[in-house]
Amino acid sequence: MTLHIFGVRHHGPGCARALRDALEELQPDIVLVEGPPDAHGVLPLLLNAAMKPPVALLIYVPEQPRRAVYYPFTHFSPEWQALHYAFRKQIPARFMDLPQTIQLAREPEQPTPPDGSPENTPIPDDSLTPLPRTGEGPGVGDLPAAAGSAQPHAEPNADVPSDISPLPQTREEPGMGDDPLAMLAEAAGYTDHELWWEREIEQRRDATGLFEGILEAMTTLRGDPTPKNEEEAQREAHMRQTIRAAIKEGFQRIAVVCGAWHSPVLASLDNPDDAKVARADAATLKGLKQVKVEATWIPWTNSRLSYRSGYGAGIASPGWYTHLWTAPDRATIRWTAHAAHLLREQGLDASSASVIEAVRLAEALAAMGELPMPGMNELHEAIQTVLCNGNDTPMQLIREKLEIGETMGEVPAETPIVPLQRDLEAQAKRLRLKQSPEIVTLKLDLRNETDRARSQLLHRLRLLGVEWGKPQHIYGSVKGTFHENWELKWEVEFVVALIEQNIWGNTVESAANGFARDQAEKADELPALTALLNQVMLAGLPDATEHLLTRVEALAAVSADVRHLMDALPPLAEVARYGDVRATKEEQAKRIMPVIAALFARVLVGLPGACASLDDDAAAEMVGSIDNVQRAISDILNSDDMRADWLPVLRHLVDMETVHGLVRGRCCRLLLEQHALDENELQRLARLALSPVVPADQATAWVEGVLRGSGLLLLHQDGLWRALDAWLVDLTPETFVALLPLLRRAFADFETPARRQMGEKVAKLHTAPTGALGFEKPGQGANDPFASLDHERAAKVLPVLAQILGVAPVKSGAAGDSGGDA
Amino acid sequence: MTKNNGDTTIATVTTTSATPTETPALEAVLRQHAEQQYAEELAELAKHDDRQRPPNWQLSPWAVRTYLLGGRLPNGFEVSPKYIGNARLIEIAVATLATDRALLLYGVPGTAKSWVSEHIAAAVTGDSTMMIQGTAGTDESAIRYGWNYARLLVEGPSPAALVVSPMMRAMQEGKIARIEELTRIPAEVQDTLITILSEKTLPVPELGMEVQARKGFNVIATANNRDKGVNELSSALMRRFNTVVLPLPATIEEEIDIVDRRVASLGRALELPAEKPALEEIRRVVTVFRELRDGLTADGKTKVKSPSGTLSTAEAISVMTNGLTMAAYYGDGVLHADDLAAGITGAIIKDPVQDRVVWLEYLQTVVKERDGWKDLYRACHEVL
Repeated sequence: MTLHIFGVRHHGPGCARALRDALEELQPDIVLVEGPPDAHGVLPLLLNAAMKPPVALLIYVPEQPRRAVYYPFTHFSPEWQALHYAFRKQIPARFMDLPQTIQLAREPEQPTPPDGSPENTPIPDDSLTPLPRTGEGPGVGDLPAAAGSAQPHAEPNADVPSDISPLPQTREEPGMGDDPLAMLAEAAGYTDHELWWEREIEQRRDATGLFEGILEAMTTLRGDPTPKNEEEAQREAHMRQTIRAAIKEGFQRIAVVCGAWHSPVLASLDNPDDAKVARADAATLKGLKQVKVEATWIPWTNSRLSYRSGYGAGIASPGWYTHLWTAPDRATIRWTAHAAHLLREQGLDASSASVIEAVRLAEALAAMGELPMPGMNELHEAIQTVLCNGNDTPMQLIREKLEIGETMGEVPAETPIVPLQRDLEAQAKRLRLKQSPEIVTLKLDLRNETDRARSQLLHRLRLLGVEWGKPQHIYGSVKGTFHENWELKWEVEFVVALIEQNIWGNTVESAANGFARDQAEKADELPALTALLNQVMLAGLPDATEHLLTRVEALAAVSADVRHLMDALPPLAEVARYGDVRATKEEQAKRIMPVIAALFARVLVGLPGACASLDDDAAAEMVGSIDNVQRAISDILNSDDMRADWLPVLRHLVDMETVHGLVRGRCCRLLLEQHALDENELQRLARLALSPVVPADQATAWVEGVLRGSGLLLLHQDGLWRALDAWLVDLTPETFVALLPLLRRAFADFETPARRQMGEKVAKLHTAPTGALGFEKPGQGANDPFASLDHERAAKVLPVLAQILGVAPVKSGAAGDSGGDA
Repeated sequence: MTKNNGDTTIATVTTTSATPTETPALEAVLRQHAEQQYAEELAELAKHDDRQRPPNWQLSPWAVRTYLLGGRLPNGFEVSPKYIGNARLIEIAVATLATDRALLLYGVPGTAKSWVSEHIAAAVTGDSTMMIQGTAGTDESAIRYGWNYARLLVEGPSPAALVVSPMMRAMQEGKIARIEELTRIPAEVQDTLITILSEKTLPVPELGMEVQARKGFNVIATANNRDKGVNELSSALMRRFNTVVLPLPATIEEEIDIVDRRVASLGRALELPAEKPALEEIRRVVTVFRELRDGLTADGKTKVKSPSGTLSTAEAISVMTNGLTMAAYYGDGVLHADDLAAGITGAIIKDPVQDRVVWLEYLQTVVKERDGWKDLYRACHEVL
């Protein structure tokens, strides 16, 4: 019987390749892998054609899905290769780590926090962190997930600021075992451990003696084989027991794949005086508390393999490792060519000649650094220097798309149910919502606690892209912010969406939270952010809300587009108003007001500049944004202070010559509605805006700006009508015809009675004494087409006309006038 | 053809510096070339350099790196660092030259581009004098060749009538030609470089000959990316260069270190009688410059406006030397705030209206409130 220990690092192409070759050579009859035995049931899925790494094994407590651990695997994980080998050869493969039934039970039972509490994390189980300081050690010490500490939420870490979880008392694990590679790397004169490992192991093509070397190095490093804590003692004891069992069963060539750190204590089991240790191990493992767990596979992504995502045993550049794993040869050239392709897709120059030069430079750099082949750093320096002209910006792209990569794994359809689904089912049951494919209408009153929880659940699901409920617009008598109508319809595809979204968290709340935070990071425009903020508020996710507010503040400070700021105001204002109804935490509502105030202040400063020299389309958009601000401050917030600052800006815009007529007209209108403009002033402005020297299209735009909206307010503005009338009369027939569509548009929104009243108004204008206001224009009488009309005779025709047209007869001659105007 | 003046000047420079080591009046020179000033270091490095050298290089790439970044030789000889900052940038620059590619040092004014270029040239070929100063008036003959018209009239076209440019000479000798301020050269003149860089040859059609570059020939150019009147480089030209962007110093300590070293060596060169400035004064000037440049105070709490100038490390160095001079000749020989005030103000206020507002605002909101900066505040206010 022979025992072969393969100490590995969890993700690394060099290790994986070496292991694969070593196994082929050894032809073992059993493979033991450091991993959770709880997952044995789902292991055969590994060979399923639909299984596409990166994927993760997920072990969770069904009653409390947020207590879980992930074991990510990808093609170049040595464990994955070992398991694959075993299944392909149809030899037994076993996980030998301490079962999660025990590891997860170790945590004291915690009450499930009520929904809305802040301990949700995007990856609720960064237990993946074997090392106290994440991001530094390449994680040889322990298997990815289970790792040194199996708490569901292990290390609060710098990369995932959301991980504010107060629950898990992080166990400090001092000592050099934390990062044995750091010691080796330092001994070799490297400051960057990752770099050292990559150069020594991952880029190695000839792996003869690699594992013997690792075992020897680790034996020396560990010196004293005593485990560093009780947990590690139990885990190593269990590993040894599993190996002993295999020996007992009579397997002849046993291959053991484990984290390099554990390799020394597993190596000496085939000697005869192991019995004493075996007894001690049995004692260690006796009577440990257990909890029921379930295991399944979920899809994983490359970005979550990188330790930037907070995965402690992660690697810096999954994309690069994938490349090293998949590239059959000439990895350097292939990588550079990929980068050039990427740059070309973005419309940047990247000629083949430059690729050649970049490869040459990378090789020269490797030579200077005395490396056998260029690593990723050399390649990236060369690419930046040659292909990007020293510019750092395109390198971001290469880092995101190539170095990390955007690959997402897939799992077969037969994969068991994920905790997110389970959580949803539990919540739906509790809230008495039935997952039925029929359309059900649901009316919610948010003052009621159950209804509020239902609303939050539906909103959270919507955030996750599971549109079980569609919010309906509320018509009619039911007013107020505390009502919500939903239309529920369950679709089968939602299950798939839930499996995909499980990556963000194991409960609906934590997943929505994690997803929203991720979206917030990705969004780089204010309107998108504030819209998201609105959704998050509705979904009752305080943690994501806080994060979003910070993002909004940061973006607002640098945003150059005033319209973005303006459009961001209404959703923010809505959010500020929810405070009371949705039992949102009060601090949070308070937190929003300063953000709004800062945004508003920037709008006030930037608006006049942003309104200058707009074309027709831009002016129309600007009017929309101005209306948004108006709505936010008067309709939603109803703040007198803000209005006091806002009106002078509008007034200023009205007087600015360079501003588009539509915007100025709209400002006039808004001022008028808020009683900030009296009739005489309006008349003066109207005459200025409609005076003959103003280009006709600008004047028309002004008219459109003023008239848009309700017509009733305008009926009493005699001055406006006179100015309008005089302007119309002065137009040449050609211009009038040309402007007619625009004018029609201006009047189109009015309801028929209002339009008729306006017609009457204009008719009256001419009977009223006009000289008093000094309005009479020279020659106007002659131009007025109605001046020579005999009203009495015209009135006689009207009843007949009315009959022909099929409308009720009108009293005066107004009908004719209104027809001419509208 | 073209004006003759420029060519002859270049020719003169060429002859005087052809044999730098023999010049007897070296001590009297205001500023020595890098290979003169650091001749000892270069000699020591060459002595211990047993590694592979690219053709016609005086030192191996590793020794060039040591020369620029500083280090200790096996015999205990200390090589002073010439460039303080990201060592990788220097490695990329040296590797670029080793792969026979032209090197473009790019960055805002005052980030030691010319300094690095001169030192690399000195270390690689032992001669940093084959330099073409790029200006708006630089014409083709400055890059290719000109004619000695007197000879041309008497003898007709002949190699003797040719005025060889530094570029041509570098090609003939297999050395490094330097082009300063490449972006100031008009675009059509820049284009002459394209053939030189890709074909490594310079035809002289008048004589029916060409100059083919010998091994070891290369070009280092420096260029500004933020200045008035720059001519953007065409992508055809850009493609022939490897570009290394030299950044402003990353940390305040690094910048203080740079200023300190340069002020000390400049003070020695100018024979200033004043005492070397206290690190504290350097720190103050560097802090002011960094804060204004970044638009943020060092504690990250207060936003400040940035003036129109670049406020580079080079300017901080000149402010310090200026202050030293003031202290030496008009003060008590020790550097005080009032010796610095005029220099700082002059460096910051480049635009008399806007920058003045910026500087005043900074003085009022930041300098005034800071502990122990009262003297600087008062001194600067007096100058304004």
